[in-house]
Amino acid sequence: MAPATTVIRVGTAEAAGVGVTRGELRVGDTPDGEAVTIPVAIVRGAGEGPVLWINGCVHGDEFCGAFIIHEMLRTLDATSLSGVVVALPILNITASQRGQRMSPFATFGFGDLNRCFPGNPGGAFTDQMAHAIYSPLRQYADYFIDFHTALTPDTRWALFANAPGDVGRKSEGIARAFGLKSTLPAPMDILGGSSMIAAARDGIPSLIVEMGGIGPAFERETVLEGAERLRNVMRHLGMLAEKPTEHGPLTYFSNFAWVNATRGGLFERAVQCGERVDKGTLVGRYIGAHGDIVEEVKSPHAGIVLAINPGPAMATGDVLVHIGLDPRDT
Amino acid sequence: MATLRIGTAVLDGTGIARGYLKVGDMPDGRPMQIPVLLAQGARPGPTLWIHGCVHGNEACGAFVVHRLMRELDTATLSGTIVALPILNITAFRSKARMSPFEGFSGGDLNRAFPGKADGTLTEQMAHAIYTELKAHAGYLVDLHTAMTADVRWALFPNAPGEVGQKSESMARAFGFNSTLPAPIDILAGSAMMVAARDGIPGLIVEAGGKGPAFTAALVSDVVERLRNVMRQIGMLTGTVAQHGPLTYFSNFAWVRAVQGGLFQRAVQCGERLKAGTVLGHYYDLWGQPTGEALSPQAGVVLAIHPGPIMARGETLVHIGLDPREV
Repeated sequence: MAPATTVIRVGTAEAAGVGVTRGELRVGDTPDGEAVTIPVAIVRGAGEGPVLWINGCVHGDEFCGAFIIHEMLRTLDATSLSGVVVALPILNITASQRGQRMSPFATFGFGDLNRCFPGNPGGAFTDQMAHAIYSPLRQYADYFIDFHTALTPDTRWALFANAPGDVGRKSEGIARAFGLKSTLPAPMDILGGSSMIAAARDGIPSLIVEMGGIGPAFERETVLEGAERLRNVMRHLGMLAEKPTEHGPLTYFSNFAWVNATRGGLFERAVQCGERVDKGTLVGRYIGAHGDIVEEVKSPHAGIVLAINPGPAMATGDVLVHIGLDPRDT
Repeated sequence: MATLRIGTAVLDGTGIARGYLKVGDMPDGRPMQIPVLLAQGARPGPTLWIHGCVHGNEACGAFVVHRLMRELDTATLSGTIVALPILNITAFRSKARMSPFEGFSGGDLNRAFPGKADGTLTEQMAHAIYTELKAHAGYLVDLHTAMTADVRWALFPNAPGEVGQKSESMARAFGFNSTLPAPIDILAGSAMMVAARDGIPGLIVEAGGKGPAFTAALVSDVVERLRNVMRQIGMLTGTVAQHGPLTYFSNFAWVRAVQGGLFQRAVQCGERLKAGTVLGHYYDLWGQPTGEALSPQAGVVLAIHPGPIMARGETLVHIGLDPREV
């Protein structure tokens, strides 16, 4: 919790009193020597309360999160807020400008920002970016939410750091307040280098939200819904006064399985996100260049579809389907 | 029945043949080749040439061609179909509009017809494709997409005499409500306009958006409309479905963005616009509104930028001008 007298400083955004402060955080330099800066908005409430830190576009083409964060910021009234919201809607700005996952300045295989946390001030471009972002996050954040998308507009799931003790319990609390039906209590040994796991190890309860698809593949309704679920987390944390909505039992998983394509071609999916699959359920069809159906792809696992490749074309090794394992209602 | 041969696809008599047409060389010396399907019906009739993915990221057209050919029964077909589902194969692989191997000329294949045997890569591709098209096609359908999944319009060459009349009858049998009788002096270098000048009636279909932005329902709808075109030109039996009056335009206007930023559209394809209608909203990096994009002209939305980000100069909106029911 940030005492009312403490100035919160993230880059050029300095929040000393009640209200909204906007600024930029320098995360690197371009090859021509210009500063790479990312947007920071700090909303400081009239009441005391926790610091909720929210990130979007860790992967540059996952814009739905930025739009959710923006929607929430535009509708947030600092006078009715207890605590502080620190929002960085577009982390990987040079990737976002190009509409791609990783920065064009990333070198030698260190391009996935969500595998680089807590970062390294003497590392590769993306390591240095992670370091610049994670340092103030660790300093200020009491709770952390990281917005992602998968591949298609119907993506809707979340995962929280299933850490021992208080951190895990509080992470689960924000996951339940966010309330997407498909939710993974993430084992602490997966997603090494993600900001969620790094923050949880540093004692910060954390949640990753996966809503919408890459690029323009998301609906306005998803943005509005994501913003409302975010406000519900803030109610749960006592940052907004209303009573939080109860979402009822969620479907938890033991883990997830990434299934990569072992052949290439045109592809048509046969399942939707959230759908139950058995081992052997048809998940899609490969189509040859002449239009012949060359293979029906069966799910190698039972579970629930978290993400599915939309096609229309896929090379070997692309993510075919992402499956939540051992679903159980809790 | 004479042997039909395009590239390695060879067909003697009724049935379907598959093969490849060489359109260039890869940088490693392997052939750059594109898929070809030939279908010959049990009875004589015209030759319909259909191609997709002139622009590599307009995959909806390939799926339309594929479904049409999978569902085709040559026993009930009169005439011949030549189908090339993926023209710009190296662009398709890169999920990009233009080939990654194009050096200097921009690489828009639909501005490169009839092509040039010793020109740039894209001009040589156009030449290899158009040489066969000119030799075989009785009618041409060219499948495109715009940017968003709700795109549905068509255009035909408004050429003098029989070519224009036959093109219009194809467009009416296809029957998308928004249809442009395209002035013959626009879209120079497009396969449709070049073919029209060579006496081949044609139609460009714009259905669906870039990459994965299209639905299976749209693919099925376009395939059924193509079958209706085939009924119209006597390749399939059955009554030609009448789509009723269409909305014709005098021309279209491309409107470029003069502001960049995060963008959220406010209109759908097919919607009527006045000069001054709000097309969408711009936001800065912090989510604050930074302006509205207003339509500079009245008309009907043919294509609209989906956002979520836009640089200056991108296509903001594509407007069909002077809509009238015909």
